[in-house]
Amino acid sequence: MINIVRRQLERNWPFLLAVMLVLGGFEFLLCAMVATVNVEEMFTQMSNMMPPLFRAMIEQNMPGGRPAGVLAFGWNHPVAHALLTAVAIAPPVQAIAGEVESGAIELVLAQPISRARYLAAHVAFGAGALAAVLGAGVAGTALGQAVYSLDAFGWPRLAELFVNGLLLQLAIYGVTLAISAFGREGGRVALAGVLVAVVSFLVNAVATLWSKAEFARPWSLHHYFDPREVLVNGHLAAASIVTLGAIAIAGIAVASLRFERRDLP
Amino acid sequence: MPALEVRDLRKRFGEVEALRGVSFAVEAGEVFGYLGPNGAGKTTTLRVVLGLARASSGRAEIAGMTPQAAASRADIGFLPGDLRLYGDMTGLAALDFFARFRPARAPRLRPMLLEALAIDGATLARRVKFLSHGTRQKLGLVVAMQHDPSLLLLDEPTNGLDPLVQQAFRSLVADFAARGRAVLFSSHVLSEVQAVCSRVAILRAGEIVALETIGKLREKVMRKMRVRFAGDAPAGLERIAGVARSEAQGREATLWIRGDLNAIVQALAAARIDDMAFPEAELEDIFLGYYQPGAAP
Repeated sequence: MINIVRRQLERNWPFLLAVMLVLGGFEFLLCAMVATVNVEEMFTQMSNMMPPLFRAMIEQNMPGGRPAGVLAFGWNHPVAHALLTAVAIAPPVQAIAGEVESGAIELVLAQPISRARYLAAHVAFGAGALAAVLGAGVAGTALGQAVYSLDAFGWPRLAELFVNGLLLQLAIYGVTLAISAFGREGGRVALAGVLVAVVSFLVNAVATLWSKAEFARPWSLHHYFDPREVLVNGHLAAASIVTLGAIAIAGIAVASLRFERRDLP
Repeated sequence: MPALEVRDLRKRFGEVEALRGVSFAVEAGEVFGYLGPNGAGKTTTLRVVLGLARASSGRAEIAGMTPQAAASRADIGFLPGDLRLYGDMTGLAALDFFARFRPARAPRLRPMLLEALAIDGATLARRVKFLSHGTRQKLGLVVAMQHDPSLLLLDEPTNGLDPLVQQAFRSLVADFAARGRAVLFSSHVLSEVQAVCSRVAILRAGEIVALETIGKLREKVMRKMRVRFAGDAPAGLERIAGVARSEAQGREATLWIRGDLNAIVQALAAARIDDMAFPEAELEDIFLGYYQPGAAP
């Protein structure tokens, strides 16, 4: 099992390191921006120039343009989501469909390793990779706060954000892994995983802004990830933990059942 | 207990029945040939044996264990027909990666195999994706054999190997068998199987049509003989004793022959011969030998 984890690490470390640096740097830069400009004044000016729809969207995410709101928005920014989702999608695509497509899985599974352990190794690597990237982002926020003497939020709230973010990405990972277990082509599985993440993000965004679409919010994975609520108000809903955790576990379970039974390669 | 036993194995892919009741056993100390044309079901059999594909019915056992048990693969070596190693690894990293799946068994044969197959340090330092097909195949052989397994499963192992390396590989396989290891040698090349195997199963369209010792196979196989006469090929060549079939066109004739060659050569000597050749027998010629009316059972 360690052999597979080690292999994944050797194969993916440049990608993971790059994402960690970019996400950590992005969150750090937001701290720098908040510390060096008058965010509230800038927000008021920008808000007045914007159409009502955009104004509402920004107010939802960073109420009143307060520094804490801006930093929280940094965790719901499309850049942050794109980076994290890339790490949530690439490893499960590689784990099954990618390996089937490359043909390498035939020789690997001809070794004395059960399919369950093979999959467990990939899940362990995926969870570790997501934790590392999220950790780098949280470290960026913490470092930025320390360097620029911001007192927006302490470690307990950052830890809750870490848990909430990790569960969201593990849910995307689980769904992608389930699709991967049925697939034979990495590209198609990756596309399906990206579609799931993008649709989920958009459903949440639209349902947040448009009251008639609000009914759809609970069907979005991103509804259960609320950095503003976690960081600004210090509240991580138990329902979010349960829902995202259950989806992650269900996805991995479906993948495991399918992978155990399918013919390879 | 046989090193590998396959009993009434059936595998269906939708409407296609890839294996139709295949049964055979490979004993310790033998090189067992598994001969058949492409698409006959050789690779499917190996995949079922390794637990990569599930049998529709029947069973396969490696040293008494079912393929689904990971432990059944602890003491085997496998070379796939379509070998795919990780391209981003160096040759040495690939060997180490596969060796680490068996932490209790050091890859003690590796130095000997590298020498026998002429793989040098510079080759091992290069990434697999930059190696030639033949060199990758040699690496695959080392992966399969480096831990000195009790059962070797080789699917078209000489693919891409040059003749010198093929010779070295054959002596490695013979040495394995001499040390009590069992080898299943899957191939579509008759001469290759004849050169290294002691017994052979012939697979056609998912069925074993013959399970013979190599000696028996040689007796039954119809060899091809190509003769170029100085003038037109004489008529009635198929009436010569030992000639099962003949085709003649102008000065050239192809004869499918079985048994004693002397009688045939003597009969042909009545005409003036310019050239005579024995091309590699094709699998269809073997099948002809088995299906020809009057062929020995």
